[in-house]
Amino acid sequence: MEQENYKIKAVNLLRSRICDPKFIFINESPESNHSKLKFMISSSVTEACNNSILLLGPRGSGKNAVLELVIQDLLQEYPDSISVMRLNGLLHSDDISAFKEIARQLCMEHQLLFSKAASFDDNSQFMVAMLKECGLAHKTIIFVLDEFDLFAQGKQRLLYSLLDAMQSITSQAVVLGISCRLDADQLLEKRVRSRFSHRKLLFLPPSIEDSQKLLMHMLTLPIDPSFPQDYAVEFNRKVQNIIEDRGFLETLNKYLNVDSSVKHLLRFLFCAVSRMELQTGFLSRENFEIAFSSIQRQPKLECLRNCSILELQILVCMKRLEVKEQNLCNFNSVMKEYKSTLTSERYARHVCLRAFEHLIHRELICFTDNRGQSLSVEFRPVKLLISSAELHQGLRANNSCPPKLLNLMDREG
Amino acid sequence: MDEDKTQQLPRRMTRSSASSSPSTSNNIVAAKVTSLEPLTINDLLVGGDPISLDDIISSFPGRSSQILEVVRHLGPLNSPMLPLFVYGSSSTGKTSIILQLFRHLNRPIVFSSCRTCYNQNILFESILNQLLLHRKNAANGYLNAKRCERPSDFVNFLLEALTNVISNLKEKSEKLISNEMTQGKIGNMIYLVFDNFQLVREWDKSSTILPLLFNLYDLLNTPEVGLIFISSTSPDTFYSNMGYVEPIPIYFPDYTEEDIRQILLRNQVNQKRYSSFLDVSLKSFCGITKQIDDLSAALKPLYEKYCEPLSDKGKGVAPNQEMKRRLLAHINPHIASSLNEIFKVSSLSSTEVETRKEEKWKGNLRRLEQSKELVSLDFHISTSAKYLLISAFLASRNPATLDASLFDSKGGSDNRKRKRKPSEKAQERKETLEQELLMKGPGTFPLERLLAIFQCLVSVAEEPSDEEEQNNDGLGVEGGNGGLMSDILLQLSSLCNSNFIFKGRSCPIEGSTRYRSTISEDLALKVARSLEFPLSKYLYRS
Repeated sequence: MEQENYKIKAVNLLRSRICDPKFIFINESPESNHSKLKFMISSSVTEACNNSILLLGPRGSGKNAVLELVIQDLLQEYPDSISVMRLNGLLHSDDISAFKEIARQLCMEHQLLFSKAASFDDNSQFMVAMLKECGLAHKTIIFVLDEFDLFAQGKQRLLYSLLDAMQSITSQAVVLGISCRLDADQLLEKRVRSRFSHRKLLFLPPSIEDSQKLLMHMLTLPIDPSFPQDYAVEFNRKVQNIIEDRGFLETLNKYLNVDSSVKHLLRFLFCAVSRMELQTGFLSRENFEIAFSSIQRQPKLECLRNCSILELQILVCMKRLEVKEQNLCNFNSVMKEYKSTLTSERYARHVCLRAFEHLIHRELICFTDNRGQSLSVEFRPVKLLISSAELHQGLRANNSCPPKLLNLMDREG
Repeated sequence: MDEDKTQQLPRRMTRSSASSSPSTSNNIVAAKVTSLEPLTINDLLVGGDPISLDDIISSFPGRSSQILEVVRHLGPLNSPMLPLFVYGSSSTGKTSIILQLFRHLNRPIVFSSCRTCYNQNILFESILNQLLLHRKNAANGYLNAKRCERPSDFVNFLLEALTNVISNLKEKSEKLISNEMTQGKIGNMIYLVFDNFQLVREWDKSSTILPLLFNLYDLLNTPEVGLIFISSTSPDTFYSNMGYVEPIPIYFPDYTEEDIRQILLRNQVNQKRYSSFLDVSLKSFCGITKQIDDLSAALKPLYEKYCEPLSDKGKGVAPNQEMKRRLLAHINPHIASSLNEIFKVSSLSSTEVETRKEEKWKGNLRRLEQSKELVSLDFHISTSAKYLLISAFLASRNPATLDASLFDSKGGSDNRKRKRKPSEKAQERKETLEQELLMKGPGTFPLERLLAIFQCLVSVAEEPSDEEEQNNDGLGVEGGNGGLMSDILLQLSSLCNSNFIFKGRSCPIEGSTRYRSTISEDLALKVARSLEFPLSKYLYRS
């Protein structure tokens, strides 16, 4: 019982590490984005000036996590002179809800009564007034605008009024934009851009060596009383063996070639850790191999492998029409082709229609127009969503596929 | 603690579990009795009797690797997880397996199907209602717990509700630990399950809601929340122009033929006979579709057919070799014809279907030798509606320029004169026209043309065909014309509503609304036959 317990505890520890961005991005070296960002924000807090910074980098490269760490540190250092407003472009991209959210968070922060009924104008005036008050009290407001590019849609009223309010000497605020679009500052209007100080921090995905180090960091168990000493040592030794293994490195390389961001690596890690055998309580090479194969999926091929013969026949007919350069095709023209190519064991028309609909549900084919109900299914133009190479591969992989169909696929005309 | 042990009702059911449990009606009655108690955190559990993992695996043949994979990703008690994306085509057991697993694990879930919650507000409200343990009733005027129209409100409320629930759960599990109870642990995690997730793509052009839901895990930033998306389409069909970190995919492949056999064999009284039946029939049916719900519906009548030659006393015993051969000979001719019946949807009651199926089989067999068997209409509409349907069909099918010649005083007689020997060029043109017709489908027409054709048809039909029926039809002429023409617009709108005729938006150039007939030629011919109207005479064959 006790033995089982610490193994489960180990799995839980690893999983919670993977799900906790703060653990991953702790990196205190002076060149790291963490220390740069910390320096920038803390200097504007201590010197009571305004600042605006953009954090750019691909999705899943830890922009948000690093920022959270920095803010956490700063809140400990200057507990009374910082308040943080968090906005997200996904939620607050329209001006009305953005100002409302700012007003709500300001009220929460300063124990004021928030009125839901306040108008857009009230809220924006309230924000400007609060900025002024906080400036007088030497309190810095940090605005975190996640998905910054979404705030740059439309009239950019929020950005303008924020940055404009920061132009006055009394105010004291930092605007932090987080975006995965590297050209986020080009999206700004002229009046906004001229008020923006163009400080940018670039977040790059880690190199393969750094990824390896990260893996080590994530997967080693602490040598302390929470785990039996010999178990933790043995576990760490095994992990180290796996990570230094050449075959494993190759797999890792192949995986990171697609996308080398940290979040992408974590997905892989999560799959591997959740496959850990609780009987042995150790990670193994196979865990990683299986995780790799299960996470790299080829959905279209999987779909083709599941198709029934009739569905494959229809697909082949459509492919033949495509080869004939008939650029528009619908169910009727497919049926014409079907009748002319397949002479034996044909199915009735309405059976084919259902199979055709199944193909649409599987998203192997789709309608080319979006107009909807004006025509019945038979007449609406459709197109194939798979290439002929994929279809070939799929036909071969499908073990119920008759060889005749493959021939038909190859034969011209 | 006592409250926790009160009767747990299965809170939700999937299609399969609903059909397999015979005592559903009892549950409903019981649910009504208990529905007045306030909801507790235990109502977030799936409910039902505890079930072991082995039971789940044995009740879903061919799914053991998927079940184990999901269990592994859910992890042991209190372990956080990254979002999962469960996908596979319909009727592969995605939803039922997830629900059964949560019944086994005994952890709280918030389950919402994007089919019943058909837009984002309803989805938000349903999630919040469940989390806030809110039940709509007369006392609160059937209102939702929170009103939220914007995604920002939703995330705020959701965070609030989640922190509440999670602290509740933690308190509870601490109590359990202090009581040193190992049974009934439900852990600190709460899981949000989104079923039928592929439908979200169609909401609001999915511009905001899809990225929101995919990024929900990062937005909430609470490790105690697990997200599970269940979709019938693969992750690569979810395009979004802003991107997201992809959830972890778990694939449910379609059942193989062997799995299908196992599934169909369950719940069968005479296993041996059914398996010998499947030997002869299943393979050809699998050629058409591998979806279990289609297959089981198609195979049921065929199996009854298969058993027909057996006498009552022979039904109990397993068939021997000779019997098998006899049954095979009996069923063989039916398989081919029923393959083409597989997706027929019948609107008639089951007994009627039975007799009609009989006829159809005979018909199909006969069709091999004879010409087409005539099948009468399956529905009833008024005579004028039928004429309207035919005239709409004609207006859609025939080019407008031919109307004058077709509906001249002697209906259709003109047609014969125009026949000439087709030249080569004409032949070519004919082919391209045919091609076009295949592509374009039925044409559109303005209301005036429809009414004109309708009037012509009615007058042709009611005019006693000069020589023969002068005296018989007197009654029809008197009442007919006025009677058939009245309320014609009403009839038209009801045909539009029932989707026989499609009513388009008004054409920007002409300014009038255009119509289009959506019925197939077969149906039009059937309708014409029921009126004894010579439709083929009026059809323009290019």
